[in-house]
Amino acid sequence: MIRLAASAFAAVLFILPALTAPIPALMVAGVVGLLLAAVGIATLWRWPVTSAACVFLTDYAAALWLADAPVSAGSAAAFGLSLLLLLEAVEVARCMRHATVDASAARSQIVHWIGFGVATVAATGLAMPIAVALARLVPFAAAPFVAAAAALGAVLALAAAALRPRR
Amino acid sequence: MTARLTPLGLSLLTVTVWALPLAVLSARTELLVAALPLVLALATLALPLRIPDYALTHEISTDRVFEGDAVAVTVSVTARSAIPLLELLEPLPHGSRLASGRNRALMSLRPGQTASFRYEVRWAGRGLHDLGTVVVRGRDRWGIRAWERRHAERTRVRVHPRIVSLRSLPRPFHTQTSIGDYTSPALGEGIEPGDIRQFTPGDRIRQVNWRASLRLGSLYVTQRHLERNADVVLMLDTLAHVGAAPESTLDFGVRAAASLATAYLARKDRVGLIVYGGLIDWVRPGSGRAQYERLAGTLLRADVVFTYVAKDLALVPPRVLPPHALVIAITPLLDPRFTKAALDLVARGFDLIALVVSPVAVTRALLGGSEADDLACRLWALERRAQLDGLRRHGIAVLEWNPGEPLEPALAGLRRRRPRLAASR
Repeated sequence: MIRLAASAFAAVLFILPALTAPIPALMVAGVVGLLLAAVGIATLWRWPVTSAACVFLTDYAAALWLADAPVSAGSAAAFGLSLLLLLEAVEVARCMRHATVDASAARSQIVHWIGFGVATVAATGLAMPIAVALARLVPFAAAPFVAAAAALGAVLALAAAALRPRR
Repeated sequence: MTARLTPLGLSLLTVTVWALPLAVLSARTELLVAALPLVLALATLALPLRIPDYALTHEISTDRVFEGDAVAVTVSVTARSAIPLLELLEPLPHGSRLASGRNRALMSLRPGQTASFRYEVRWAGRGLHDLGTVVVRGRDRWGIRAWERRHAERTRVRVHPRIVSLRSLPRPFHTQTSIGDYTSPALGEGIEPGDIRQFTPGDRIRQVNWRASLRLGSLYVTQRHLERNADVVLMLDTLAHVGAAPESTLDFGVRAAASLATAYLARKDRVGLIVYGGLIDWVRPGSGRAQYERLAGTLLRADVVFTYVAKDLALVPPRVLPPHALVIAITPLLDPRFTKAALDLVARGFDLIALVVSPVAVTRALLGGSEADDLACRLWALERRAQLDGLRRHGIAVLEWNPGEPLEPALAGLRRRRPRLAASR
């Protein structure tokens, strides 16, 4: 069941870039991601799923860049949630493999995912107008540098939070 | 307890690190929005991790089983605080396998909630096995951080060798002084009729043999033989074995020893045990259920310990090898030191029977069955036949047992002459 959910998330990750820009080259990249995800879901290895997530992400970035379509926050939020839940679902499937699974474990996990999905959509809805307002304050020439610095800062902060020892 | 970042956390970090530069390079807001769930999940790393409080209990259905029987294990967890995701694993002891259920569990608990999982484990071979070590791995809600704890509540399971019911047992030549099932040459109160003698004052009327008295014209009484028990000492060869557990010659020997001990104890005999090998061990002869527990405890530990030193049976206290005891040597006859010890016992006047567990059959079962293997086994069998004949010439009663066949016919093959009952007065 959990593998089925993971497969569904992988399908969403394949379909969204294809809908954004139906270009054969991007479809091929999506198929590669889909194959990697299938291998990861079947074997429950982590590295194919992580690789698939990166491929899907690159595919989506290329599709957005090539299509040059107006901003669609809803589909981007769906893509991001699918990306997260694909990795989560495979991890939970790993935990469930060869184990006696209490019904409450699966139930609480699904409830948590749904709750997080709603919260993410709400946060996106809230963040988008704020981001648009802030973007107007940044000078056009400095925007790439501000974006790069912010991305670098975010990455470093996350890495520091993840790798610091905790007790 | 240290919480650590899980591989999932590293995966999320990798994807996030990949997404943010892509967003900057492609100058598309959607990629930042797509990275938002990942960033939010990773942001939970900044929150302090609360290690859940819980109580774990481990129960087994029984601590004594026979080979092949299953033990049910129940592990219960009671949460005192909320536990998002808890993985439990009880590693299976060596030589065991799952009979039913799973030895891993995944649960999520609310405060005060109790959850449990149950599985059955079985052992193919005898031995002492420890259960009760449960490895618990807790995860936060996102599975990004994990902590581990090991619960060791050791429970020992004694797996006894499987016993077969034996009806025809080798009969001892000599009996002892306690009441038992063997007809003793000594006369006294019993049910087996013996000689007839003239009536003497003190004889009971019911002992009078009226037919003989009428024929001979004076009173005659029928004497009766006593029913006595015997001392049986099982001598197990642990110098060498062939085959792999639980189908090695030693395992078959242990099963035979346990079966013989049970059968002799049921006949009210006193049964002792000598484990003759690299380490010499013994149990003094005794009777009753407690004695079986002592014998079984020693048999469970019996194992081949390699040594160049030949153990001297003089080390064994006389009380372990009482005079007139029937000694049953259970051996594959692979080590000449055991043969020497057996001959030594015969020379000391012990009534000795060798129950030879055929290593040829055990080895043949392990081999592929090629022509060369078959030829080698046949040559070995011939060589062993000559070896057994040599033992018989020394006055040892030899019973050869192929472990693939039941033990009873091998024991029934021994025809021992019943001792002359009227010999002693």
